[in-house]
Amino acid sequence: MDLVANNLSYKPDDQYHLNEVSFNFKEGNLYTILGRTLSGKTTLLKTIAGLLTPDSGEIEFDGKNFLKVPVWERNVAMVYQQFINYPHLNVYENIAFPLKQRKMDQSIINDKVMDALKSVGLLGYEKRKIQELSGGQQQRVSLARSLVKNAKILLLDEPLVNLDYKLREQLREEFKNLFSKGLADETILIYSTTDPRETMELNGEVIVLDEGKVLQVGSAKEIFENPNSLKVAEISNDPPMNIIEAKISDNNIKFEGINLEAPQHLSKLTEDGLKIGLRSSDIELNENGQEFEVELAEISGSETLLHLKRGDTKIIVSIEEVLNFKIHDKVKINFKIDRAYAFNADGKLAASPFGGLNGQN
Amino acid sequence: MNFKHKYFFLFPGLFVLIGILIFPIIFVVRLSLSGWNSYNPGLDYIGLENYIRLFTDDPRFWESFFRLSFLSVTTVILQYVIGFALAHMVWKDIKFKRFFRVLFLVPMMTTPVIMTVIWRTFFHESLGPVNDLLSVFGVAPKWLTDPVIAKFTVIIVEVWQWTPFMFLLLLAGLLSLPKEPFLAAAIDGASPVRKFIYVTFPLMAPISIGAIIIRLIEASKIMDTVYVLTSGGPGTSTETSSFYIFIKGLREFQMGYAASMSFTYLIIMIISLTIIAKVLTKVLLKE
Repeated sequence: MDLVANNLSYKPDDQYHLNEVSFNFKEGNLYTILGRTLSGKTTLLKTIAGLLTPDSGEIEFDGKNFLKVPVWERNVAMVYQQFINYPHLNVYENIAFPLKQRKMDQSIINDKVMDALKSVGLLGYEKRKIQELSGGQQQRVSLARSLVKNAKILLLDEPLVNLDYKLREQLREEFKNLFSKGLADETILIYSTTDPRETMELNGEVIVLDEGKVLQVGSAKEIFENPNSLKVAEISNDPPMNIIEAKISDNNIKFEGINLEAPQHLSKLTEDGLKIGLRSSDIELNENGQEFEVELAEISGSETLLHLKRGDTKIIVSIEEVLNFKIHDKVKINFKIDRAYAFNADGKLAASPFGGLNGQN
Repeated sequence: MNFKHKYFFLFPGLFVLIGILIFPIIFVVRLSLSGWNSYNPGLDYIGLENYIRLFTDDPRFWESFFRLSFLSVTTVILQYVIGFALAHMVWKDIKFKRFFRVLFLVPMMTTPVIMTVIWRTFFHESLGPVNDLLSVFGVAPKWLTDPVIAKFTVIIVEVWQWTPFMFLLLLAGLLSLPKEPFLAAAIDGASPVRKFIYVTFPLMAPISIGAIIIRLIEASKIMDTVYVLTSGGPGTSTETSSFYIFIKGLREFQMGYAASMSFTYLIIMIISLTIIAKVLTKVLLKE
């Protein structure tokens, strides 16, 4: 049973929340919708769930016009970024709620609820009130509530975004396990996130969304290796990919008085207005490198993010250790230029170290 | 924090409290132990004589009390159901939402006594417009003079007058509910009706209890409606406790006896409202 959407558009104010979105989701697969906040991810999931009606376009599921089916008959489960549960019910009753709506047998409900509790690691919490749980536990309850239904379509709307770092890591791991050890083969799993790392780890089919428009569709690897445009490169990297305005001539990449020998995949590009893209992890500290000035150094976890400047060029370097820098310190860095991307003036991919051209791979 | 004059600052509040609550209650108790009436106005002491009379020799008080219970419980239930329905209606996005919200509040803004005079005219058995309309069907109910129908007339007027108050409390409650559980319920497969039963109503339980208790306290004082509409009649068939106490105290000037009735009434109300609140909490909140 496929979930097919054609040209979904939704424009409640003067901005598109969805702009001609089309997709074809197949059962048994995991789809990740990657986009920044306000890119239309939640709108898209709500449209699939039936909480929103698009202005135009159609959704078909199992050969039927899905837009004609009321929300409560759609057999969809959804986990929200704000941990949504029923405040007046305890943990057990919360998870049993969707089953009760289907008027199932009490003993079957009991088995299913216990299974779900077990799979999210909340056995023993049945009688607790929702308000007595931590954020992570509340999110597990809503995850259990969505799993217990065996819905054909499972929507997860940035389920980890409101959790603290530790919990996010832990739940992300659990998600991966849950997803891989088989939600039934007939489930379509749709997971939205702003975090490229989550996208890579979940390793499903990725849809990159921006301002309501689908920018690129492909496997996580494809998106990582060959982002088809500057926008996608920005969205699919955290910190965003460094974009450097440079000129290529005589087999040299030139910017801010720096001359780098162009690697093979970039050497043939000569057009004007080229932009060179380089991930923050593809720049390293090196005694013999180019001198830049520190604008800001932030330590995040076990990483140090250096915001550097030289002339008009600003770049971010991520270093896998905790280092202390002062503002206006001078550092020397080395570009792993053989891993650089090139985008042409209108933002399309011109060359990639992985061989993709114009993203049509 | 232990300084000499701290009690001095409590005094203004305490003074008001003593003046308007504690002194009157103590005075009523003392009054109830006296035989103060129009022949013998004075705080003599006759022991529990008034109470013995009340408990052994005054069926009219107890009849009026049970009548009051019936009237107040019925009106409050009706007010709750109608108020909830109206509040639920204008809670959703409907056309002219603001207009309806104001419209439903209009009865509360009118003066009860004047409205009751108008209702009395409405229900007048030979001159009123209600029976004028009903004459088309060949019926002419005795709205104000039939012992049974008169009770329902009182109920109609009370419900009309005070449903807006219930509506206001319940609408405020509905508007303060979190939106998220409703999203979840729709996706969890709850149809609108089941959503109401399993989500809206339980979430509204605490507010409902508050609203019902407030209205019960108010409704157990039903007096002006009865006074203007039927004067307790026909006979004593619409007489309520407060009206009966008013007759005994301020018409017949049996002040001592009226005081003993007031005090008994106060005790019964405190006990029964406490029980009602406990039961409602247990049933609606499952605690």
